[in-house]
Amino acid sequence: MSTVQFSPHTTGNSLVHRLSPLTKLTFAVTVTVCAFAVVDYRWPLLLFCALLLPAAIGAKVLRRFLLMLATFWVPVAAVLFVVQGFFFPEAHDVIARFGPLELKSEGVSYALLTALHILVLMGGFFLLLLTTHAATLMSALSERNVSPSLIYIVSAALQIVPTLSRRATRILHAQQARGQVIHGLRGRARALVPLVGPLILGAFTDVGERAAAMETRGFGATRRPTSLITVPDSAVQRSARAAMMLCAVVAVTVNVWGVMR
Amino acid sequence: MADFSRSTPSWLDERWRIGWGTGVVLVTYAGLIAVRPASEHGVGGPIALLALVGYTLGALLIVSGAVARLPATTVALLPVAITVNIVMGKIVYFSGLPLQLDSIGTVLVGVVAGPAAGAATGALASVIVGMTITPGALPYAVTAAMIGFTAGMLARAGLFRRLPTAVLAGGLIGVVAGVISAPITAFVFGNASGSVGQSALIATFQAFGNGMLKAATLQGLVADPLDKALTVVLAMAILKGLPPGFLYRFPFVRDRHVLARRPDVVRAG
Amino acid sequence: MIEVKGFSFTYPTGSRPALHDIGFEVGPHELCAVVGGSGAGKSTLAGVVSGTVPHLTGGCAEGLVQVNGRDLADTPLSGLVGQVGLVMQNPFNQISGARFSVREEIAFGLENMGVPRDEMAARVDTVLHDLGLTKVRDRSPYELSGGQQQLLAIGSVLVMRPTVMVLDEPTSQLDAAGSALVFEALGTLREQGVTTLLIEHRMERLARAADHVLVLDGGTIVAKGSPGEVLADERLEEWGVAPLRYTVAARRAAARGLWPDARPLPVTLDAAAEGFGATVAHLDRGDR
Repeated sequence: MSTVQFSPHTTGNSLVHRLSPLTKLTFAVTVTVCAFAVVDYRWPLLLFCALLLPAAIGAKVLRRFLLMLATFWVPVAAVLFVVQGFFFPEAHDVIARFGPLELKSEGVSYALLTALHILVLMGGFFLLLLTTHAATLMSALSERNVSPSLIYIVSAALQIVPTLSRRATRILHAQQARGQVIHGLRGRARALVPLVGPLILGAFTDVGERAAAMETRGFGATRRPTSLITVPDSAVQRSARAAMMLCAVVAVTVNVWGVMR
Repeated sequence: MADFSRSTPSWLDERWRIGWGTGVVLVTYAGLIAVRPASEHGVGGPIALLALVGYTLGALLIVSGAVARLPATTVALLPVAITVNIVMGKIVYFSGLPLQLDSIGTVLVGVVAGPAAGAATGALASVIVGMTITPGALPYAVTAAMIGFTAGMLARAGLFRRLPTAVLAGGLIGVVAGVISAPITAFVFGNASGSVGQSALIATFQAFGNGMLKAATLQGLVADPLDKALTVVLAMAILKGLPPGFLYRFPFVRDRHVLARRPDVVRAG
Repeated sequence: MIEVKGFSFTYPTGSRPALHDIGFEVGPHELCAVVGGSGAGKSTLAGVVSGTVPHLTGGCAEGLVQVNGRDLADTPLSGLVGQVGLVMQNPFNQISGARFSVREEIAFGLENMGVPRDEMAARVDTVLHDLGLTKVRDRSPYELSGGQQQLLAIGSVLVMRPTVMVLDEPTSQLDAAGSALVFEALGTLREQGVTTLLIEHRMERLARAADHVLVLDGGTIVAKGSPGEVLADERLEEWGVAPLRYTVAARRAAARGLWPDARPLPVTLDAAAEGFGATVAHLDRGDR
């Protein structure tokens, strides 16, 4: 399972990289909302080709962008076409037959639309992740008065996950390297416990000390913490965000009204 | 973007936000059932957008309300719990077991630190997975939050004092998870978000003439209770292995007798 | 200023006291070292003086602990921020994880205290320089070596300029150069009037740096006094503390009449060299 590496993407220095993370986050949310708002497969395709692809090219992250879509979007899209192409409820218009299975046009068009929606959703967030350092995003959020506890939890998890993951992988590799042959599901599960157990228990036991360290360093002591670094923002970006949010709100309102009617 | 500003009116007070968030989620779910997703609006965008927006808004409210009042020890616990979710999820994925087991940390926090902390763990774990593994996890933040919240409520009711009732609690958590996640699976991901096994099960249900939401719900009700019952057993095993002093740092465990008295915690009473 | 009187503490899950009837004082400009075997209660004592025990652990405490004249029993931890600094044994737990670079990690405490940005930047850069961390200032705290993490943990507390410093084995993962930096920083703090409580197992460093030494064994103070008195005590090994080799050598020499009578047993290398030098000179004269 490959993972989206969040932190190493600070090398770029394109316009997209330099945008405030909030702008990119608002963009990802808005473009997703807009994609879902219109029932026509050409619309999300247009959003992807006219906005997301050029942005990825401009940020010089196109290769990684496409690679990530290939890893995460293509499997979902494939399953989607199989499940809905053949098993879409109450579909009748058969296009092709594969043995007992019937491919139906309603299912295919639904799968196409949904797959493109997911493409835009994933694309918007990949663009944010590929061009933003986690630290900048967290600083930007804390400047917007997001609770320090929330910032702490997300930041700490982002840093502890790789550390603990590495230790777990090392344990699993060591287990394989010792040539242990493990049969069956129960065997596999039983082999894992003595190895992973101490790792997890250790991580939990550390919590008390970490809390003590945080409190003695004033965590939660003031309502208004200051920040060492600032995240550049501009009036243009602020108004762009306002416009995008307005756009998203209108799209949602129109849709909710349409559904309720 | 949600407004997290602290100078909010009292009806948006931290204590109320969890309630509002849960309300938004329930209204969204009721709305999705009420508009009969099989109708012409049900297919494609609008209904998915409704599910996405309602659930995201609910998750934001719940998280911002839950996180605001956590004591430092719980705040320090959450990243570790999230890490355990992710690392165990990965190990299970690699070991080829047909399970998810990616909520062990969430359930554990719900049990030792209460429903609010559990909800925050689940939702933030989805955010972390969304940021590091796949954005596909983001729309499921509410499901994860509800898993932690339900675990906390059932712990408060005393279901985690003995193993059999704890397993029952796991089953109930699974029911909640299965029902709440179904609209996302059905409408946002067109029933293709999970593993191949899950998708095959959903396809089978659809082939038997069930609608998309019904198929996704049935799949959730088959797979989730089992998975969550096992999750609870593993979380209890971890709790048993932790030093007694650790649990004593959490007032939820200490004051409400959430867990059975352990022979090595005689003096704790 | 640290003042502890008749203090006993039992963990909520403990069957016997972790600390029993502890009493000592450390004034400004003083460095008090605590030694003892494992399980003697050293880390608990560090927690008590920094206010985390029993505030975070729970448990039963009796007696008095005052820091800068404030009774810790009725002072919440937030009331001690900036006054008491705690450096823990394991730097991995001291690092907050809330920040993604060394520089920001050091600033974490100042941010929480609401220190203005310009002042914060200046203080952070000074600490980075003093501890030799300037080169790695933009790296992730988790990419550092164990020794560098330990320096970072110390720096993140130093930067808050506490008037009382509590350090639990701060040099356990450091090489000679790293621990020299730490002790240099501690020396500067002492000149500035900071009260220091240091748990440390490197006796040769202690002997030079400490004003007093306490020996803990089984939760009680079994000896206290100047480094010269305490570290030369022959019961040190019974208390679970490994004595300095040259002190042992001098004691054995003394048993055979080969140590100058007027001299106390040495606890620093210099004193040992001088003593043995004097013996050799004496023997030389005797031979002649």
